Amino acid sequence: MTETRADKVVEFPMLVEVPIGPQHPAVHEPIMLKVYVDGEEVVKVEINTGYNHRGVEKLAERNTFYKNIFLCGRVCGICNTVHANCYVRALEAILNVDPPPRAKYLRVLAMELERIHSHMIINAIMAEILGFDTLFMYIMRDRELVMKAKEILTGARVLADYMMVGGVRRDLNEVKRDRIKDILRKLEPRVKYYMKVFEEDATIRKRLVDIGTITSRDAVNHGLLGPTLRGSGIASDARDYDRYDAYGEVPFRLIVRKHGDSHDRMMVRWEETINSIEMCNYVLDHLPQGNAVPDERRLPRRFPEGEAYATAEAPRGELTYYVISKGGDKPYRVKIRTPSFNNIINSGFVYLGHTLADVPVILVSFDPCISCMERVIVTDLRNGVRRKVPIRTLARGEVK
Amino acid sequence: MSAIINEVLKWFFKKPVTIEYPKEETEVEKDARGRHYSDLSKCIGCSLCAIDCPTGAITMKKIPEGYEVPKKNPRRLFPVIDYMKCIFCYRCVTICPVRAYVTTNEYRLASTIRPETSEELSLNTLRRVGEGGK
Repeated sequence: MTETRADKVVEFPMLVEVPIGPQHPAVHEPIMLKVYVDGEEVVKVEINTGYNHRGVEKLAERNTFYKNIFLCGRVCGICNTVHANCYVRALEAILNVDPPPRAKYLRVLAMELERIHSHMIINAIMAEILGFDTLFMYIMRDRELVMKAKEILTGARVLADYMMVGGVRRDLNEVKRDRIKDILRKLEPRVKYYMKVFEEDATIRKRLVDIGTITSRDAVNHGLLGPTLRGSGIASDARDYDRYDAYGEVPFRLIVRKHGDSHDRMMVRWEETINSIEMCNYVLDHLPQGNAVPDERRLPRRFPEGEAYATAEAPRGELTYYVISKGGDKPYRVKIRTPSFNNIINSGFVYLGHTLADVPVILVSFDPCISCMERVIVTDLRNGVRRKVPIRTLARGEVK
Repeated sequence: MSAIINEVLKWFFKKPVTIEYPKEETEVEKDARGRHYSDLSKCIGCSLCAIDCPTGAITMKKIPEGYEVPKKNPRRLFPVIDYMKCIFCYRCVTICPVRAYVTTNEYRLASTIRPETSEELSLNTLRRVGEGGK
């Protein structure tokens, strides 16, 4: 028996799996990125979600139409007026109600104030992720001004509960109007200053420019939405093509940037913030007269049969609600499609080829909002049937 | 880079912008949505607020003996709000047919002393039997 000797050595490159999350991967929301790295380079990213499933859509079927307005506002804390607005407009389509012009203007004001603070917080978080904590503190300090404006308008800093079928829930008097205008006057130079810092600061540019570049073709193919899509050179905005509420009358600019990297996505957000301030000022100057607040006691309790599909431009992209009514006081189905669902789950390809340190930066540049996007869909491959199951059933292994 | 350094130096010599709560009180709007309770001299005990509450935070309770209950509330019911369940959407305030809710901007529901419950606040709006005047 002859002794066999190895004449070759085969070395496999070391592939390390790095779990980022589910606690605070970048923003303070539960998502896990399983990153496979070869040395420093990312070769594969698996995006795991499901840590924050709350069953809002199922709960909406058990609640009445009106209770759902407040439930939908709580799908996402940061974009709550947009969620409520989108749902309320779907209800108005079923009821065939048109809100008065003053209510439409006030809705736009509430939603634009929300866009300002949402864009400011994600830019602040981006500064923090880059290690620029001073800038984070400054942006968050000035964001307080917007929160105050929202409190003056709606009665609460965060969860506004401002939308109602046929109008809004609070009117704006002259004193409040002047106070909000004063706040916006203070805010505008600050936002312009931060935009200049993001545009000119060498550290920020080094960390953001050419990081996580998405071509226009990829952005469309993967169904990305909102500032992520507009940062890649595609002019798409629900405010522009749907012209819901008063967006047909309030002038606004569609902001598009071409390069598609993380820096362009953040700059789209800053430019939109400045544009939103201009829109708020326009709304406050041109507020139509009339009654904006419907008497909630006189609204119809029972809804006719029908279905409605509404879209709105949330700070993160196009948000859609689909409501089916089969008569009665409860909806048969409420389907919510939030922008982060597309932007996060479909974005695994963007991380490839970058270093591990760039992963949080790219994730934050998508402005992820995990609380809105959790879904469970089980596909039966044999029969080709897709169905939704609660996470509890999935965890117990009871899915057949 | 110089822009942010100037900003830092400017704010280095100013007072901090953070508020030392609870030593210093936070400024809240007068009409901010805070703790609310039912004024039982107006309430008719119709239970509409309890039916329409999005979180089911309102339960209807019997007004205990010893209170002068107005005649318009024949069932002697009144709403009790569980502030820990309440989301302060004010749906009960807007849906009330007789506008019986008293609204405040009190937001401090966690404190070292036990805060008043909605039941106590509501019952305080009624006169006790035998008490003269209000």
